[in-house]
Amino acid sequence: MQVAPERDATTAGRDGDVVLRTRGLSKRFGPRLAVDGLDLGVRRGRVYGFLGPNGSGKTTTIGMIFGLVRPDAGEVSLFGADALEPARILRRVGAVLEGPSYLPHLSARDNLRVFGLLSGGMPPARLDAVLELVGLTARAGDKVRTYSLGMKQRLAVAGALLHDPELLILDEPTNGLDPAGMREFRDLIRELPRAGKTVFVSSHLLGEVEQMCDDVGILKAGRLLTQGPVEQLLAAAGVLELRVTDADAAVHVLDALPWAGAVTRDGDRLTVEAPPERAADVSRALAERGIYLRELRAQENRLEDVFLHVTGEAADA
Amino acid sequence: MREMVQAELMKVRTRWLPYVLVIIALIGVLLQVWLGGYVTYVNAQYSEDQRTALQLMALPWSLPSLLESGQYWGSILIGVLTASFIATDFNWGTVRQSLIRGHTRGEYLVSKLLALLLLATVGLAVALTAGILSSVLATAAAGAPVTLHVAGGPSVPQLGAMILRAGYGVLPYALLAFAISVVTRSTAAGTTAVVLYVFIESAVLGIFGQLGGTWSDLRVLFLGHNVSAVLAANRIAGADSFPSLAFRPQPSPGDLPNAMTGALVVALYCLAFALISYRAFARRDIRATEGG
Repeated sequence: MQVAPERDATTAGRDGDVVLRTRGLSKRFGPRLAVDGLDLGVRRGRVYGFLGPNGSGKTTTIGMIFGLVRPDAGEVSLFGADALEPARILRRVGAVLEGPSYLPHLSARDNLRVFGLLSGGMPPARLDAVLELVGLTARAGDKVRTYSLGMKQRLAVAGALLHDPELLILDEPTNGLDPAGMREFRDLIRELPRAGKTVFVSSHLLGEVEQMCDDVGILKAGRLLTQGPVEQLLAAAGVLELRVTDADAAVHVLDALPWAGAVTRDGDRLTVEAPPERAADVSRALAERGIYLRELRAQENRLEDVFLHVTGEAADA
Repeated sequence: MREMVQAELMKVRTRWLPYVLVIIALIGVLLQVWLGGYVTYVNAQYSEDQRTALQLMALPWSLPSLLESGQYWGSILIGVLTASFIATDFNWGTVRQSLIRGHTRGEYLVSKLLALLLLATVGLAVALTAGILSSVLATAAAGAPVTLHVAGGPSVPQLGAMILRAGYGVLPYALLAFAISVVTRSTAAGTTAVVLYVFIESAVLGIFGQLGGTWSDLRVLFLGHNVSAVLAANRIAGADSFPSLAFRPQPSPGDLPNAMTGALVVALYCLAFALISYRAFARRDIRATEGG
């Protein structure tokens, strides 16, 4: 399979377009290397999905972006400046962090008042606006300890949006949301780039990322395996399915193609890892050896296929 | 910083603990003035007992007594409040809300300290006010004269200095609880540490004082002994001793360092506890899975 190189369309381009960048970011917890030389680039006005299995280092990476976790090596820059010096740069960033981060004995409105004060003070109208945005207006006066998990997550999102940040960093933001809530959330996220905002969202939910993200980075065991625009990754990870007149001979021909990936055979039906635009090249190569196509079609790729292949978990799936 | 302190105060506004602690302080004050003072005074059969009861009850002698008790028990109560105030922020993960909004770890700790200082000041002021009002009422009820004008009695500015000395004596214990709860992220640990410290130190100081010689000299290194030195300046007319509800030895002024030396040692303790807090917090990775 052809995989986009690590420094591709996501990290390329003018540096001014990149609002979040990490270079060589590493963190070790005891013997375990949680994050290993991470080079990320998130462009302005895009929704970047940070995909990885549980324990792959997503939350640790986000912790390092905010200075909550001290990197052992590497650096983080936000809007072109060092993320930690000065810390004020973080005022342009909003976050939903993993795990609880609210005051259970206060109402949602009072929680937002506290968060607003920590952001330098917010007018009541702004509190009302974000409560409305996340659908908590009716329960805004209730103590947060009485909320469901999904409502607490909505409160976290409200807290992240409160100070109207340019960059939103969300760690597993749809945890606890019901399907309707997840859909509303996706719609909200898709709207944000139109308001000039950038979103960095970590998730292990592939379908969710595929539906709402422009770019994606795939992390495994602390290493960034690939990153790039979702469309580009899906195209690069294409699979062609074909039936031919001589399957044995065709396997040899396809194996020899330098740009093709793994070839599998099931009777006279073959699959070869190759992007759809290579279909004509496959047809030509077979015809030159006297093998003719009975059928050729591109399989529709999903991010799940890319993810499983890139993380090497396809065999286990 | 003002907004950060406001945010910290909002966090505790509807918590029950500060109110419970104030109620405990008020009960202590009422016990001292009415039970230890008034009831003992009206039932005393000997003039010596009556004099002791009067010192617990009647102004101006009740002031150093109230401040001594207030510093001792106030240190424990403020320590409990401090430990809870710090540790719950870790347990609820809300410490991260400050840090992800662009505040440095130093700013976070300073805002916590300032908010605690305000809360402690209000709490102790409420207790002291209740103590003074009780003193006036109890003195009047006992038929004794209500006045500050006695031989060696404090002027109003001196009264302010007395209150500040007692407040200063609370500070290192609050900072001890602060440091322990920052390091351990545990309310129980912070509370236990300050309670044990106060009681064990009192016992050790008493034993060392009894042993005399070098042991007695070693007391100058102890926080409690130096706090006593600061509070000794509150004694009216150079009294060698006076009654209070503080369970610690009450050395004569000649057996204590002078107030300035005591204040300096207390300041060093405060600095050490503050540095421990900052060092521990500044170097820590704050992860959700570790309670904050």
